[in-house]
Amino acid sequence: MIDCYFYTKKMCVGYDGSPLIKEITIALKRGEILTLIGPNGAGKSTILKSIAGQLSLLGGKVCLNEKDLSQQKAGELAKKMSVVFTQRVKAELKSCRDVVATGRYPYTGWFGRMSGEDERIVDEAMEAVHITDISDRDFDRISDGQKQRVMLARAICQEPEVIILDEPTSYLDIRYKLEFLKILQEMRVSKRLTVIMSLHELELAKIVSDKVLCLKGEYVLKYGTPEEVFISDFIEQLFDIREADFQADEKLLSYIRQVGRL
Amino acid sequence: MHKTRKQRYLLAMALLGTGTLFFFALNVCIGSAGMPLLKIVRTFIGKENEETIVRILWDIRLPRAAAAWILGGALALAGYLLQTFFNNPIAGPFVLGISSGAKMMVSLMMVFLMKRAVRVSSAVMIFAAFIGAMLSMGFVLLMSRRVANMSMLVVSGVMIGYICSAVTELIVTFADDADIVNLHNWSRGSFSGMTWENVKVMMAVVSITFAAVFLLSKPLDAYRMGEVYARNVGVNVRLLRVGIVFFSSVLSACIVAFAGPVSFVGIAAPHLAKRLLGTAEPIWMIPACFMGGSVFCLFSDLLARMILAPTELSISTVTAVFGAPVVLWIVAAKQRENTV
Repeated sequence: MIDCYFYTKKMCVGYDGSPLIKEITIALKRGEILTLIGPNGAGKSTILKSIAGQLSLLGGKVCLNEKDLSQQKAGELAKKMSVVFTQRVKAELKSCRDVVATGRYPYTGWFGRMSGEDERIVDEAMEAVHITDISDRDFDRISDGQKQRVMLARAICQEPEVIILDEPTSYLDIRYKLEFLKILQEMRVSKRLTVIMSLHELELAKIVSDKVLCLKGEYVLKYGTPEEVFISDFIEQLFDIREADFQADEKLLSYIRQVGRL
Repeated sequence: MHKTRKQRYLLAMALLGTGTLFFFALNVCIGSAGMPLLKIVRTFIGKENEETIVRILWDIRLPRAAAAWILGGALALAGYLLQTFFNNPIAGPFVLGISSGAKMMVSLMMVFLMKRAVRVSSAVMIFAAFIGAMLSMGFVLLMSRRVANMSMLVVSGVMIGYICSAVTELIVTFADDADIVNLHNWSRGSFSGMTWENVKVMMAVVSITFAAVFLLSKPLDAYRMGEVYARNVGVNVRLLRVGIVFFSSVLSACIVAFAGPVSFVGIAAPHLAKRLLGTAEPIWMIPACFMGGSVFCLFSDLLARMILAPTELSISTVTAVFGAPVVLWIVAAKQRENTV
């Protein structure tokens, strides 16, 4: 546990004081990717929100670099952790670039004036997720998939050490799903970015993750490396489906494997 | 791209600034006691010193125009804060019943104190109005936890407003005759009868609040993206929310204490300012809203005084005629947005 960059200790999460999932213990090294999988309503978002400090913990603690997150100043934490959640974002009269630029908030001064350096980082983040071409478009008038990428760029330009993503690929088409994985792989190499996310695509989870946390109902079903987690009958147990359904589209899956490995 | 955007903001600000000055001058120059412009100018530069003209200008028109300028701006700013807070473009101190709550407390205090022949100072008035505003605000906040829907929140606010107005009516019914006249004029909303002492107090309260709100423009901008993202970039959301509630209540209280409830400016002025600017960034919106509200109120007060001169209309009559269509416009635009 000591050499771990990020860990949770007996974390208990839930809403309004009633615990939903208890005793969650996660340990990640810097630059590792953790994926949460499980059926709808299993508590993936709840865990992510709790880790991000959006929900107060009902027990246990979350530590980053040996420091308890709840003890850290909001402004300091904002430079280390950024989030992309699923709920709709309203950005009245903001261009896509404006939205991305809100990620620089922790770094700018009292009135939020952007320096040349800030502008450059925003440009870089937009290039990384390939949204430079929609830079000036009104954020409220782009597609859900585009919005998801803009929000990812926003999270990237916050220059975090840990990024928390709640179903980051849900609105993306297959091409961007793969591109998204590529971005994460690049970021973990170049910036040693630690990623904690939830995914619905089990195949993607299998390829991209270092650790997988399976949730079902009110408890952690399994936690470990993809090899440990993705054993033949396990997925069926998790989702109450048959193997045949899961591997419905062999062609697509092999394509994903191919590109996903880079 | 970046340059032109900034140019537009500056142009809009210049336009609003000029508008404020223009209508301010118009309000000082036009009135039921007809005076030639030349005379007014000569009086101001000290070339003429006719007692009645000096009195009319200095004691009546100037403080009144100043009040419309300051309170109009305050009203628009209060509306803007509430709209940001509730993420609702038709929120405002009037529709959410905050003005009515303030009005109720002020009339209660007036009747209570005047019976004892105590002179009511501006500060006491504002304080009473603030208590009333917070009372309504408390109810609205309670309701907002139960109703997620924007329009239901406004309905709740309107209901709270009705309850407060009913209580006010009751208080007025039990008051003495002299008080009723006083109360009645004020309770319909009017900028008449302002003294320099009033103007000084409102100037102090509004300018401090304005400065405080302006200093919050960065967290306010983050808050517009939703609580989650505001918190993620390090905004103390709870503290910010307390700040917004407090400042919007102070502003609403200040308006009600001096001019009574004034309808629709809090919704119309921010909306028009936003259209003019083409952005909703607080750092531009806060000053633009203020100036927009000033222009709106100066213009409305001019009409209120002049349409049926020498009889005066209540200020809300005029602001409603021009403000309510803006609300309808917002609602229609929202509907279109949702169906697309």
